[in-house]
Amino acid sequence: MAHPSQLGFQDAASPIMEELLHFHDHALMIVFLISTLVLYIIVAMVTTKLTNKFILDSQEIEIIWTLLPAIILILIALPSLRILYLMDEINDPHLTIKAMGHQWYWSYEYTDYEDLGFDSYMIPTQDLTPGQFRLLETDHRMVIPVESPIRVLVSAEDVLHSWAVPSLGVKMDAVPGRLNQTAFITSRPGVFYGQCSEICGANHSFMPIVVEAVPLEYFENWSFLMLQDA
Amino acid sequence: MSSMLKVVGKQLKNHPALIPLFIFIGGGATMSMMYLARLALKNPDVSWDRKNNPEPWNKLEHNQQYKLFAVNMDYTKLKKDRPDF
Repeated sequence: MAHPSQLGFQDAASPIMEELLHFHDHALMIVFLISTLVLYIIVAMVTTKLTNKFILDSQEIEIIWTLLPAIILILIALPSLRILYLMDEINDPHLTIKAMGHQWYWSYEYTDYEDLGFDSYMIPTQDLTPGQFRLLETDHRMVIPVESPIRVLVSAEDVLHSWAVPSLGVKMDAVPGRLNQTAFITSRPGVFYGQCSEICGANHSFMPIVVEAVPLEYFENWSFLMLQDA
Repeated sequence: MSSMLKVVGKQLKNHPALIPLFIFIGGGATMSMMYLARLALKNPDVSWDRKNNPEPWNKLEHNQQYKLFAVNMDYTKLKKDRPDF
């Protein structure tokens, strides 16, 4: 989850998010370099006493400042397209989970083997126990096995919602009547928080998403216990 | 048409700095048009010819790669584990 006064991305919990982080570092470094250069040139132009009133044009500098930006743009575009295609690859998921958005909670259905379904409501602030995160915790978490490709089918039962978990690099709109697919792999066990990312009414800020990645035996125990409770 | 090209050629001789501009803009426009043409002709998501090719999205093989690039995935290794319908 995010920590107070955080400026950058959350730590990556999936390989795609790692790629996105590295690409962001690359693009931001280029942006910083260009901005510093421009600022330096501005200051140099403004603070010099030298003037030349007779320059009309120069072919050499025009070639340079056409070529260099084009090369920089290609250096940004190639990694960007690579990640774009990487995000869309079909990776043979081990588990398919349906995340349905409602006003104002998410419901998860694990129907590959048995019929397991449950709702996930936010824990109200007055019911939090010490150590829990305000506006982020839910009563039931979406538990998944760690390091397994997971497919999530996202849809909505009433209005538009969006299922987003920043540390996994995942965001997919929940549209009523439409089935959207996204997939991810968690690289490490842990608890990953997200929030509904499409305005959906009064409690849009109060329907968070919690994904808990655990080893496979824990996942099997959890799904067995959840099936018994239902 | 050829007179326009002659005018442009004359301008290029006097201002050779415009040559990289032509290369990059021309290359970019060519690549986008080629990709649009590929989408128009080979995209399985849209049916253009309702009589002869009504549902092209149903004709995909289980290990067919329909995206332009494959970064990390060897599509030939995918196995078919669904029944035909």
